[in-house]
Amino acid sequence: MMCRRTMVAPLCAASALTYALLAAGSLDASPQAGNAASPDGSRTRARVERLASEAFGGREAGSDGERLAAAFIADELARIGARPLPGRRDMFVPFEFTAGSRDGKTAIVITSASGPAAGRRFDNQQVDALSFSESAKDISGPAVFAGYGIVVPESQTFGYDSYAGLDVKDKIVVLLRYFPEDADPAAKAILVRYSDLRYKAQAARQRGARGVVVITGPRSPNAGRTVPLGSDTAAAGSAISAVSVTGDVANLLFTGTRSLDEVQKELDSGNPHVAGFALPLTISLTTDVILEKGTARNVVAYLPATPSASGVAKPWVVVGAHYDHLGRGTHGNSLAGGNEVGRAHPGADDNASGTAAVLGIADALAKQPRRRNVVLALWSAEEIGLVGSAKFIAQPPVPVPDIAAYLNYDMVGRMQDNKLTIQATGTSPAWASLLERANVAAGFDVVLQEDPYQPTDVASFNLAGVPSLSFTTGAHVDYHKPSDTADKIAYDDLDRIAALGATIVERLLAQDQPPAFVKVEQSSQTAGRTGIRVFTGTIPDYASTAKGLLLSGVIGGGPAEQAGLTKGDVLIEIAGQSITNIYDYTYALELLKVGTPVKVVYMRGSERRETMMTPGARR
Amino acid sequence: MTPDPIFRWYPIAVKPLRALTLVILTATGIAAAAAQSAPPAQASPERELLSRVRRLTLEGRRAGEGYWSADGRRLVFQSEREPGNPFYQIYTLTLATGETMRVSPGYGKTTCAFIHPTTGDVLFASTHHDPRSRELQKEELDFRASGKERRYSWDYDPEMELYVHNAKTGALTRLTNAQGYDAEGSYSPDGRWIVFSSTRQAYGRTLTPAERKQLETDPSFFGEIYIMRSDGTELRRLTTVNGYDGGPFFSPDGTRIVWRRFDEQGLIADVFTMKLDGTDVRQLTSFGAMSWAPYIHPSGRYLLFASNKLGFENFEVFMVDIDGRKEPIRVTYSDGFDGLPVPSPDGQQLAWTSSRGGGREGQIFLAQWNHDKALALLAAAPERKR
Repeated sequence: MMCRRTMVAPLCAASALTYALLAAGSLDASPQAGNAASPDGSRTRARVERLASEAFGGREAGSDGERLAAAFIADELARIGARPLPGRRDMFVPFEFTAGSRDGKTAIVITSASGPAAGRRFDNQQVDALSFSESAKDISGPAVFAGYGIVVPESQTFGYDSYAGLDVKDKIVVLLRYFPEDADPAAKAILVRYSDLRYKAQAARQRGARGVVVITGPRSPNAGRTVPLGSDTAAAGSAISAVSVTGDVANLLFTGTRSLDEVQKELDSGNPHVAGFALPLTISLTTDVILEKGTARNVVAYLPATPSASGVAKPWVVVGAHYDHLGRGTHGNSLAGGNEVGRAHPGADDNASGTAAVLGIADALAKQPRRRNVVLALWSAEEIGLVGSAKFIAQPPVPVPDIAAYLNYDMVGRMQDNKLTIQATGTSPAWASLLERANVAAGFDVVLQEDPYQPTDVASFNLAGVPSLSFTTGAHVDYHKPSDTADKIAYDDLDRIAALGATIVERLLAQDQPPAFVKVEQSSQTAGRTGIRVFTGTIPDYASTAKGLLLSGVIGGGPAEQAGLTKGDVLIEIAGQSITNIYDYTYALELLKVGTPVKVVYMRGSERRETMMTPGARR
Repeated sequence: MTPDPIFRWYPIAVKPLRALTLVILTATGIAAAAAQSAPPAQASPERELLSRVRRLTLEGRRAGEGYWSADGRRLVFQSEREPGNPFYQIYTLTLATGETMRVSPGYGKTTCAFIHPTTGDVLFASTHHDPRSRELQKEELDFRASGKERRYSWDYDPEMELYVHNAKTGALTRLTNAQGYDAEGSYSPDGRWIVFSSTRQAYGRTLTPAERKQLETDPSFFGEIYIMRSDGTELRRLTTVNGYDGGPFFSPDGTRIVWRRFDEQGLIADVFTMKLDGTDVRQLTSFGAMSWAPYIHPSGRYLLFASNKLGFENFEVFMVDIDGRKEPIRVTYSDGFDGLPVPSPDGQQLAWTSSRGGGREGQIFLAQWNHDKALALLAAAPERKR
């Protein structure tokens, strides 16, 4: 399960999916084994253990481990009786992808008539290209400071325009990261939505700026530091050269004017409409963002219809899961901490479990007559942005309109309390009825979620107009960590999930009428940051003036209580966001994802402690 | 077997303190930090009695009132899932196959079904003979489409009459024919009798001005328990106390009737039993809350019911010994609605209606029931506070 890309960098890693399990809220330890015994001869455990083994090294897209895993999966598929797709010799479908970005020879040259800044050149030690920057040489222009560089659209009925009265055409815009630190809460709540660096760069470009230099002000978090490139691979360029610089360089830019500290203080505390001003120097930018390319491979096979699917409406059903994971966690989305850093991430649940579910479904279907063809698709490069499934849709081996339905499995190995979440049920009116019938025998405590805009491969098929379902047992404390190991998988339940899947596919294969597709409007919840969606079960002390967020209590059984938090604790950091007051906390909550564990740092008395908390859904 | 007091009472079902907090914080734009009022669902204590909890109904806006066939192979329930009809219709679900079948006409309103113990016929209440049925469906659909939200209220439609669906022929036979709400019917274990609730006493006579006003504001006030033969003959009225008497079922040995009685204001309800002639009335609960939807376990030793003792909107399932000597014991631990508990004929499973799947609307859930544990807990319970 990949992390969502719409978030600011430090949160990205923490913002994968998984939801309603919070409904269960319960991390109560005894995973209740289903009554259904493991089918005789089930290879589920063996498959998960193999995929999660050290030999495959965490199955990072493009790695040797990924290739070995793909070969293993292809062997299993062949053993089941699946074949390469018509016209193909084997089951491997390689594709190129962007594995990440790194800085090459980015530099900044400052020229001015006189003073310490004159003619100074800085390179990688003190300047980093932003990950979405264009790569370009010697983009130069007069420097102009544009405050926080925030433009709030008029539709917000809240005037804030850092560019009001400021001409930045053909100039290099210098702007502050984040948003005014001391704005009142209502203002802050609006400003935060327009303070994303991509958005700021776009605003500068639209006003004719040639380049952007981001500085992290002395009064802001991460003061004086550059913005790390991270693993932002959703890196459609911004069509503008953009860099961040250290505090030393920033101070040089302000020589001959008021000090940066003073200027930021005024922007933060006083009238937010402090005008920008020209800096008495010229800046030349050279930006060099190197995209690291890799080659990954989907494994795609099929079980042909028996005797043939000719004359059947929409003769294909696709069942899929991603098999790639995070390797050793070197490319960003790992949540490994302490001595776990750098170790292989076995991804037993994420997503050896889903891979095993697909293979288990194939086992069952291979033994039966089939009125439609069943594609078995194991995706790679899911963890870096659903790349494998998107490639399948972009270059479909069978016509997309001929696909009756897609079933997706992502993290189905950690069943708790018999709860199975089924997502994307809004993509067809046929699903509820079909699932109800299939589940009577399967007996899961099913939670339905209509939303198909999930951070897993089901999103690719939904966008292509294919009625889809995605199955998950939800996130857990080992999510995206080296501790996501095969010994923690609930194998009996995993077999039950595969059995339910086989039943659903059987029904789909038998139906004359394939399910109708319904487009689900993307809710504001998944479209962006539009308010708090999560439930943490904290009861803040509103009267406290202590630094941090003092808890006056926690709601029994809620995520905070389960994370071990209690009355009197002071939260100081959540998901990498420092918390100094309730407004910081509100902002931090706005960025959390339901079901995704986040690190919480808190003070208990004078002791600094850390825990993981999994926010639930606010109803 | 009452239709949804939970929905009926939503208009005033607000937790004042929490609601106030939310309003204030929303106004200052930091609702979020405080909107932590959404409570977590399903704590583990209920695993003592309920295991392998699973959701049975998934289709439609909501479902409820699930009752077992005598052989335990089928459930009959009501669900809003008929295309074009916003009201409940009646369905049977065959547990071995997962297949459902509608047994009601598909139009009009229906409620509260029960399966005949020997013939498999299905008893339910319906308004489909009302010529305005389709018009009323459209009105309701239009209202919902308008985006306005009327908190659902059960209207005690005086057109409700009892029908029986013949399992062999599929034919519908009308059993009652009296102005007033006739519904909430169930069969005796031998299938020869039906108990039900009716407001017929408020119709066909001259009402006092106070009664007329009462009928307009809350017709359920006139609900009383009636018994008749399963062919609709030999009708007898069993209760005569003001306030809504409803949801009657026979005891497993067929000698008594369990039901719930609301007070005159319709806010407090308690569970009672009586003999089939209406004598020997015994009150089994006294929470001072809305305790209703009782159903006796097939062992005959205790019964399950729902109560909002723990919070106006928070209904939980409780159980109490058959004589009501001991304090009732809580069964479910889940926010929102848990009610209408119905044990399977073998006593090993429990079907009930719950909103634990998300949202406000209920669906039917199923779990394994630990009968031995239930007996042990009941034996250890203290004397009931009265």
